[in-house]
Amino acid sequence: MTRPGPLPRWARQARVVLVKELVDSFRDKRALASILLSILVGPLITGFMMNRIADRQKDADDVRIPIVGARNAPALVQWLSQQSGVMVATGPSDPEQAVRDQTEYVVLVVPPGYAEDFRSSRPASIKVVADGARADTQGQVQRVQRLLAQYSAEIGALRLIGRGVSPAAATPLKVEDVEVSTTQQRAAKLLSVIPLMVLLAAFTGAMQLATDATAGERERGSLEALLVNPVPRGALALGKVMASALAGMLAVMVTAGLCTALLRFIPLQELGMRFRFGTPHMVGLMAAALPVCLLTASVQSCVATLAKSFKEAQTYMGILILAPMIIGVMGTLYPIDNQPWMYGVPLLGQYVLLTSVLGGYAPGPLAFLVAAVVCVLTAGLLLRATVALLNNERIVFGR
Amino acid sequence: MITATDLKKYFGAVAAVDGVTFTAGDGQVTGLLGPNGAGKTTTLRMLYGVMRPDGGTIEVDHIDATKHPRDAQARLGVLPDLAGLYPRLTAREQVRYYGELHGLESGLLEERTTALLRNLDLMHLADRRSAGYSHGERTKVAIARALVHEPQNVLLDEPTNGLDVMSTRAVRAIIRRLKAEGRCVLFSSHVMQEVSALCDSIVVIAGGRVVAHGTPDELRAKAGYDSLEDAFVALAGAGEPR
Repeated sequence: MTRPGPLPRWARQARVVLVKELVDSFRDKRALASILLSILVGPLITGFMMNRIADRQKDADDVRIPIVGARNAPALVQWLSQQSGVMVATGPSDPEQAVRDQTEYVVLVVPPGYAEDFRSSRPASIKVVADGARADTQGQVQRVQRLLAQYSAEIGALRLIGRGVSPAAATPLKVEDVEVSTTQQRAAKLLSVIPLMVLLAAFTGAMQLATDATAGERERGSLEALLVNPVPRGALALGKVMASALAGMLAVMVTAGLCTALLRFIPLQELGMRFRFGTPHMVGLMAAALPVCLLTASVQSCVATLAKSFKEAQTYMGILILAPMIIGVMGTLYPIDNQPWMYGVPLLGQYVLLTSVLGGYAPGPLAFLVAAVVCVLTAGLLLRATVALLNNERIVFGR
Repeated sequence: MITATDLKKYFGAVAAVDGVTFTAGDGQVTGLLGPNGAGKTTTLRMLYGVMRPDGGTIEVDHIDATKHPRDAQARLGVLPDLAGLYPRLTAREQVRYYGELHGLESGLLEERTTALLRNLDLMHLADRRSAGYSHGERTKVAIARALVHEPQNVLLDEPTNGLDVMSTRAVRAIIRRLKAEGRCVLFSSHVMQEVSALCDSIVVIAGGRVVAHGTPDELRAKAGYDSLEDAFVALAGAGEPR
């Protein structure tokens, strides 16, 4: 067994700083609680929302159809009641008001002339009363419309056969839907909040430590004493940035772990998705997300060092966290086409990679490598900027 | 031994330190005496390497501190102007942190930490977090962490400022002990009694310049006053010479 050679002095000092900052911040119960909360809230809300969507989709399959004037169309009513998941009920006296009041999702109205028209093979009018402005009942309304279209087609076919015509003649088009996106891609679209949650965790996880170790160190008056030690400023900054990066990585792992655990409980198959989340996905998520923690920790440390007070630093942290939010919101509103240049843009590259991994069409290792290298290089530049700030007497002594 | 030669520091157009020269020898206590705003803290900050002088040289044990700041700092133990502790670390951990930064080997570090905490009468705080310490206790812990690497030169910026009688006595005892060990002790103060009680050599600073340098007796003789306080007031330029 070969023992690794001793680390250079500055690296050992950076490690001492790192360990101290981690110990110090993990004793800060209030900060830990706020980080934990911010990490937990996201995945829980996501899981809840997805569960609701799945429930609603299930509701749409089980549909209750109140019918006004059921005795005008006994055959239709009987056919409807024989379809699976359909429950026929007596309609309200004022269907439109009932739908408007949201006491009913949808009401079927069979006018008195229906039977007469039906018997004489004229198009028999039938009304579907629904509120198009209500997004949550659309599934139900569409189901009713599909059932009626199906009934109409069946009766039409029977009538053609009765007249000696093949029903095929009345069906010039046979429309088939070919879904190009894989089910996993569709799942990823719905799961597009997860990359945002993971990126946010990289910010919230590192934030507290980054501010406490820089702006907090100065505000407590312990910075001057620390700088008296024979430690290069670079080693101090490196230790502090690495400590916050590790905290960010921990938050990222917890968030990714929670989100993937939630995926097991969410009835995704009821959404028509067969999403299978396995170890390769997890490895992909980590490969995409962990390097970004170096970036978030270094940008936060740099900005917090620049801030005149702890409070001011916290304000800046709030502004910084808008960056992943903007990307996440844009990504949800306008589906991002993967372009190779995106991997070279910090944060955006990670967002695209995370989305791809969850979509089950992860790009090659080169994309991961490029995104990671860009993150590390940017973090390095920010670290140098932080060292320059620590060498500035105006910054250190707050003049 | 610390030698400052023609030290200068400007903040904008203001000369905070304007040509300070003195030597603080080993086995001696040197007092940096001066009114508030005289440039004591700025002088010390340049000596312990957190401010760059705009002119002049600093030697710590014959090491050029401006060219080799880390080597000089390794030979310094400092209680700086701002000596904040980490509220969530215990006294032992604060001392250990600085010892590790100085690269002390862990066995030796534990030994020294315990010895320091015992000598400074801090054992009852050793494993308590510093959040609830009194001002005197905080100062003593800050001194303990400054001494963990057994520096030859000790710089203390107004070490007794705001301390009660008991804590002041404890700090004075530390200074005497350091002197007895043959170290070079340099401390700043605006309190006359303290300087006269402790110092072998006094550097009086006013307006960023050294206005007098000598033993307490020499200073009294130079200013023509019997009392050191009167001498100080005269030398600092605030009083009328007799």
